[in-house]
Amino acid sequence: MILRRRFFLIGLFLAFAIAQGADQFKFPLTSNSVRFAVIGDMGTGAKPEFQTADQMDEQRKTFPFDFVIALGDNLYGGHSPADFEKKFAAPYKDLLDAGVKFYAALGNHDDSSERFYKPFNMNGANYYSFKKGNVHFFALDSNYMDPKQVDWLQKQLQSADSNEWKICFFHHPLYSSARKHGPATDLKLLLEPIFVKYGVNVVFAGHEHIYERVLPQKGIYYFTEGSSGQLRAHGLDRSSITAAGFDTDRAFMLVEIADDQMYFETVSRTGTVVDSGVIQRQRAASIAKP
Amino acid sequence: MKTRSRSAVQVRSAVLTAVAVFVSTPISASAGQGSPPQTPQVQNQPAQNPAPDLKSPGFQEFSDRVQKYVQLHKSVEATLPKLKATNEPELIVAHQKMLARKIKAVRAHTKRGDIFTPAAKEDFVKAISSEFQGPQAPHAKATIKQGAPLMKVHLHVNEIYPESIPYTSVPPTMLQKLPKLPEEVAYRAVSSDLVLLDVKANLVVDYLAGILPVEAQNGQ
Repeated sequence: MILRRRFFLIGLFLAFAIAQGADQFKFPLTSNSVRFAVIGDMGTGAKPEFQTADQMDEQRKTFPFDFVIALGDNLYGGHSPADFEKKFAAPYKDLLDAGVKFYAALGNHDDSSERFYKPFNMNGANYYSFKKGNVHFFALDSNYMDPKQVDWLQKQLQSADSNEWKICFFHHPLYSSARKHGPATDLKLLLEPIFVKYGVNVVFAGHEHIYERVLPQKGIYYFTEGSSGQLRAHGLDRSSITAAGFDTDRAFMLVEIADDQMYFETVSRTGTVVDSGVIQRQRAASIAKP
Repeated sequence: MKTRSRSAVQVRSAVLTAVAVFVSTPISASAGQGSPPQTPQVQNQPAQNPAPDLKSPGFQEFSDRVQKYVQLHKSVEATLPKLKATNEPELIVAHQKMLARKIKAVRAHTKRGDIFTPAAKEDFVKAISSEFQGPQAPHAKATIKQGAPLMKVHLHVNEIYPESIPYTSVPPTMLQKLPKLPEEVAYRAVSSDLVLLDVKANLVVDYLAGILPVEAQNGQ
């Protein structure tokens, strides 16, 4: 009970510190930092997806990110060649032409065959990992968390460098205050103990067509960004875990990781910054070793 | 509207202070902030239900038939150009369609229950009932409920999985208790049906109708 209260107070303090920082936020743009954007639930092929992609391109002029992680529902509806073009290649053409790489996770609207689409950089795998600088990314398939994938994740995390950031991204959020689906609690039962055990720092998910930043849960930062194409207007039912949210327009995130700090900004389709802050990497000293 | 200013020093020091306090408590011993009101309380305990016997005759029969199917899949796929990551979605789509067409032709006379045999069905019913009656039941049910499609989906063995119907996540805790599958096939939940899907061909290999407890349909 005391621990719970203590964490609640710390969470509040962290949220306050981040909120205070919103007015004074600035990306450091360090030369060797890791810079990326985060999008989710974007693959509609409709005008708002194009406008959001255009805004990403605009933001890249002042925040030159190198790659994008996509949190699933990359292609809604059909999966014909024309769908790949209309719902991905066309809206993100400028970014793709500029050499920006996309790393996709699969959502519940995605066909497994998307893993063979080279621009998604999945190399034929439903789940995979990659490194950028001092950050180790783990893209998971939350549609199908079978024992094989769980084993793979544990081995990957176990062998990961403890001095690196560990970031997981997948489609279904473990924590969510959105009205439509809510959190994937069954998935949380399975994944959260693994994340805690192996010191995952940050988790990005989509599925809910809103943006939400959740207060740290067991030391882990959770973001939901599922409004880069779809939008469920006023779909966020702010709760005691909500640190920040945005549910009235499309959005995406910009992230810079410089050493032990993660700077983030959430930007709407029109270029308004709706959330921002700095996260200090949690030290793994207190994380149980296998 | 942008609110970027020149200094992040204050924020940084505030955050660093908070983190210093934060890390003084072991993460593994910490408690979360609770859940939104509509969320079932999560205990983060391992499943308490007895694990199903995956060596039971029904599951064994199922696994044997899955293996036979996968052999067939592989032999058909070997006749096609190998699919590698490509910039051309035409190749991906063509490969999937061709694979499906050839498997369908080879299995033209297959029928429901060829893989989910009566004995297998019995074991699946037991395992799934146990999952949906145990301590994880609210979470597993929530997973199914979240993904249940609005409309009734009519599945047919040896036919393409309907392209526009989103997948329902199979409850992960349930997946841990069912026979493991080779990578060519996967379990899928569609309404109350448990489907064995060929993921490369997007083909319904077999399915068990009405085995999952769908309490309410909730869209997408």
